[in-house]
Amino acid sequence: MNNSQFTERLTIHVRVNGQDFEREVEVRRLLADFLRHDLGLTATHLGCEHGVCGACTIMMDGESVRSCLLFAVQADRAEILTVEGLAQGDDMHPLQQAFWDKHALQCGFCTSGFLMSAYDLLQKNPHPTQDEIRHGLSGNLCRCTGYANIIKAVQAVADQSHS
Amino acid sequence: MKPAPFMYARPDSVEEALALLQAGGDEAKVLAGGQSFVPLLNLRIASIDAVVDLNRLSELAYIKRDADTLCIGAMTRHRQVEVSEEVQAVQPLLARAAAEVGHLAIRNRGTIGGSLVHADPAAEWPLVAVMLDAQLVMRSHQSTRTVAAREFFLGPLMTAIEPNEILCEVRFPLAPPSAVWGFQELCRRPGDFAIVAVACQLSRGHSGICSAAALAVGGAHATPLHIPEVETVISGSKGEDAVIAAAAEKAAAAVDPSGDVHGSADYRRRMVKVLTARALKEAWGKAA
Amino acid sequence: MIGARVRRVEDPRVLLGKTLYVDDLDLPDAVALAFVRSPYAHARITGIDVSAAQAHSDVLLVLTGTDVAGVIKPLRVEYEASKAPTHKPCDWPVLAQKKVRFVGEAVAVVVATDRYTAEDAADLVDVEYEALDTIWDVEQALDPNSPLVHEEWGDNVMQTVQVEIGAVGSAFQEADCVVSERFETGRHMALPMETRGCVASFEPSRDALTLWSSTQVPHVLRTHIAALLDFPEHHIRVVAPDVGGGFGQKAHVFPEEVVASYIALQLKKPVKWIEDRRENLSASMHAKQQVVHAELAFNKDGTILAAKGRFVADVGSYSEFPWGSAFEAGHAASTMPGPYKVPAFSFEAVSVATNKTTIGVYRGVGLPIGVLTMERLMDMAAQRLGLDPAELRLRNMIRKEDHPYTTIVGAEIESGSHQESLQKALDMLGYQGFRTEQAQARQHGRYLGVGIGCYVEGTAPSSVAFESMGLNLGGYESATVRMDVAGKVTLLVGTHSHGQSHETTYAQVAADELGVPVADVRVIEGDTTAVPYGMGTWGSRSAVTGGGAISKASQKLRNKMLRIAARLSEVPDDDLELAEGLIRRKTDGTPLMPIKDLAQRILMRPGGLPPDEEPGLDMTAHYEPPPATHANASHVATLEVDIETGQITLLRYIVVEDCGTIINPMVVDGQIQGGVAQGIGTAMYEHAIYDENGQFLTGTLMDYLIPTAVDVPQVEIGHIESPSPHTPHGIKGVGEGGAIAPPAAIANAVADALSPFGVRVNEIPLTPERVLTLLDGAKSEQ
Repeated sequence: MNNSQFTERLTIHVRVNGQDFEREVEVRRLLADFLRHDLGLTATHLGCEHGVCGACTIMMDGESVRSCLLFAVQADRAEILTVEGLAQGDDMHPLQQAFWDKHALQCGFCTSGFLMSAYDLLQKNPHPTQDEIRHGLSGNLCRCTGYANIIKAVQAVADQSHS
Repeated sequence: MKPAPFMYARPDSVEEALALLQAGGDEAKVLAGGQSFVPLLNLRIASIDAVVDLNRLSELAYIKRDADTLCIGAMTRHRQVEVSEEVQAVQPLLARAAAEVGHLAIRNRGTIGGSLVHADPAAEWPLVAVMLDAQLVMRSHQSTRTVAAREFFLGPLMTAIEPNEILCEVRFPLAPPSAVWGFQELCRRPGDFAIVAVACQLSRGHSGICSAAALAVGGAHATPLHIPEVETVISGSKGEDAVIAAAAEKAAAAVDPSGDVHGSADYRRRMVKVLTARALKEAWGKAA
Repeated sequence: MIGARVRRVEDPRVLLGKTLYVDDLDLPDAVALAFVRSPYAHARITGIDVSAAQAHSDVLLVLTGTDVAGVIKPLRVEYEASKAPTHKPCDWPVLAQKKVRFVGEAVAVVVATDRYTAEDAADLVDVEYEALDTIWDVEQALDPNSPLVHEEWGDNVMQTVQVEIGAVGSAFQEADCVVSERFETGRHMALPMETRGCVASFEPSRDALTLWSSTQVPHVLRTHIAALLDFPEHHIRVVAPDVGGGFGQKAHVFPEEVVASYIALQLKKPVKWIEDRRENLSASMHAKQQVVHAELAFNKDGTILAAKGRFVADVGSYSEFPWGSAFEAGHAASTMPGPYKVPAFSFEAVSVATNKTTIGVYRGVGLPIGVLTMERLMDMAAQRLGLDPAELRLRNMIRKEDHPYTTIVGAEIESGSHQESLQKALDMLGYQGFRTEQAQARQHGRYLGVGIGCYVEGTAPSSVAFESMGLNLGGYESATVRMDVAGKVTLLVGTHSHGQSHETTYAQVAADELGVPVADVRVIEGDTTAVPYGMGTWGSRSAVTGGGAISKASQKLRNKMLRIAARLSEVPDDDLELAEGLIRRKTDGTPLMPIKDLAQRILMRPGGLPPDEEPGLDMTAHYEPPPATHANASHVATLEVDIETGQITLLRYIVVEDCGTIINPMVVDGQIQGGVAQGIGTAMYEHAIYDENGQFLTGTLMDYLIPTAVDVPQVEIGHIESPSPHTPHGIKGVGEGGAIAPPAAIANAVADALSPFGVRVNEIPLTPERVLTLLDGAKSEQ
């Protein structure tokens, strides 16, 4: 396509969790809907669709972003990581393992967003203080856990990487 | 909560983007980081015919300084400002303001230009741009012009930018060597838009006397408000409690707030007074 | 395994992203719904033009209230008249008929190929309204000249319940000290992170309707869908898949679920409705908004003589289906006496309609308001009497030796630890040390406070309790325990987990009953074709009732297996037990055979079994809990108030809870921490706000604020276990508990912090501005 023209549909190429996808999409289609309903990657959840709850957080080109505030066309040629891509085969990512060990989830709806936000937080600050973890995760809402065990889980992963 | 249909283009250069805007007329809107604009589209509060997506314009994502100015490209993400060593060295207040914007994922994507043009009167970038007397460089198909931040904001979500213009660069004066700053924000929760925010920069002379001052408030007026009356009170003083109290009164008298569910107009005016005093004390404390 | 910190069975599928929430279900050929909702709080519908929407190329169907009036019954809550003589029922039409009663009420529905186009077409539906005067304030709604939400009522009062027990009047006359206050609470809501939603699918060849819904009450939903659509219930399957939180909000039957089912029947295509967050905030269920006037009478040594309360709930426009919105005020009122000995009590519970979203059940229902009322009055009395607030409570609490204690409202509190839990919480804080710290801080112009909130909760209400209200609702629960030839166990239970960890805790209960490892027990809930009829999950009921049904069914299964084993081995069955995967002798532990061998024998080779024993290893039991099962707790909060901004910073939050025997301490602690977070929201942040035109001002998560990771401290939790003498294993309920006392503890702590100013803390949420306003009020009174 000629990028300097207006269009209603576009064909995009996206690499998600190491796998390449090519799809034609309507330009208004939200990236979250594209991942969930076009690619069937339903681990990413939609909790508010206005960028507040953080449930739809994913990694795009190495940065955590809200997939409800991006159009799928904006992910053209991007590299995306979702919760489905965190584990190596049957081996959970250390964050997933720590969330399990510390009882950091109840209903589980917000969990994917927390995992991806924590992933970015630890990538940017591998040894955060408890206060830094709290602020780093303050853009993700959880209604079940009261956050304490989520913070402990992230702290545990940071502590592991210390030793 | 899905956006209404629109047309979309994603130019690879500012030139292309300006041509698209020109072609799209009043119906085309610029998409920067989208952290405020896309929610409005999803909620169908804003409806538009055409979007010009600037996210491919790497030429507008930079932080660089010259002799007396820090120049930040409009598509620079908040997070880049927050962690920039250059910013930390020459105008650390900007790093602090950037760190207060939303949450990590918002700062990773949202841009300084997008925040300025969105012109939420409680947002961090408009506040510090006004306080520091930043200059905004805007281009259209035909011309380039520079507007002072203090002239740019016209009202809530209203600015001096024309539909065919793109904000390209923000120019902040470097902090003078003797300058200290204060930044105070009152939010219901961290990352929320401020109920009231105050930013100030003071310069302290040899004998501990304030030689220059600038102060602005956000969240308490139709626009971020630069308040010269405060500067008059503070300049020439040694930051005595009575002076700060008088300055805070001046600030509270200068604003004309409107209320919302997080704070009434009266509350905001009171908070302007409290936060002005705290910001001035914070700055003065750094000078000691 | 009861009492063990077992890691959750359900977690790996969540963490690996393999859950199935209802929006994850993409059926082939499915279509999407979008509702057209009223922008008016109160208006007559004078016309609807759907032609433009119908002309949209992606639209299959548009329905208005007129289209469904004869074919879908309205949601109408009926109590048995003799038990609720003042109750006035109302119709809640699934799509508005003639007039709308709140902003967000469904007026029409559009069916299109996907949600994007459905919203496009919904924007094309043109509804003409004639605005009516709005009833937005609950006290004004009681004015005889107020406009009416439901004209046929003649006023706006849904129900008034008046009760007087004991000599209240004379007790107040003779009292040495009377405290009284008016309280006003916020309009809160459950706000699960997953909004409501459902997928309905109809298979004509089998005349079978399947409804996947994000619900807490699958069987209740099935029963009412059948009745409202006049469709045979035995041809309906309701499935609650993974559900992303409920907290009461999803314990109702909603118009949207009925409409989606109807459209699936009409179109013979799968229909999906996923609520968006704006709809959830404005048009799901609100909770808890009340205005309370209450008084307590004491003698001079601080003994409570009597209590009085008038609880007026702003129930909004309709009555939550099928339980009824009058629940809220009645529950707040009747729980006011709390863990204290109150010799005389009168209350009035008034439920009043306004032009707002309907009030439904939300974690704790009326209890947080009843507890806030009582606990604030206790602190006010302590100050008046010159007693320490902790001391005043300890003097009036039901003592351990008083159990079973019958309260003034006739509840039998079977066991508990009211004084002990408060004392332990104060010890965990270091109460006297905090008082010293507080005094020192005040000298430096810093205002620290400590607040106490104590409650007793009737968990797992019984069928008898609902019968007394004249309500069509059971308190029992059902479970089938099934053993297979490998000796592994499947539990089929009528409750539903949406975060409560049933797959783990139920497995722990069955593991103990049947002597098998937790890993050998699988728990299935939520599918009405698979599990026996049950009431779902709400009211802190699942551990008691689901656990009770599992215990009962497991015991039946165990007894049968032991009987057969005894006959086969000629060892008396009372000397046999199931343990560690074996059938063994109790006396010396001698193994007879692995459980799986007996299971295989019974299931695969029943020919050699004693002739009077049936084959098969499925056992179903229905468990009716005792009239009430009482959990208790004491909460203690410390905080600092910034008297310039009104901001509150929580310092510590301590909970000592007693839910009887704990099945899994990790899960219980998680429930408490999460409950406290919601209670902090109730106390400090959350309020669904309407303006005087009934316009809804908090339609996004930037306006309706719930606490974040920064706002909720690590709760320090202590446990006391006073087992119930009436339930299997002594288990009591715990789910709601954490959310009940934070408004009381935090409001008391704010009042304590600001005691030098004599502030009346009588409103929640305590937003920064409200705290300053209360401070201003105190200063102007001084």
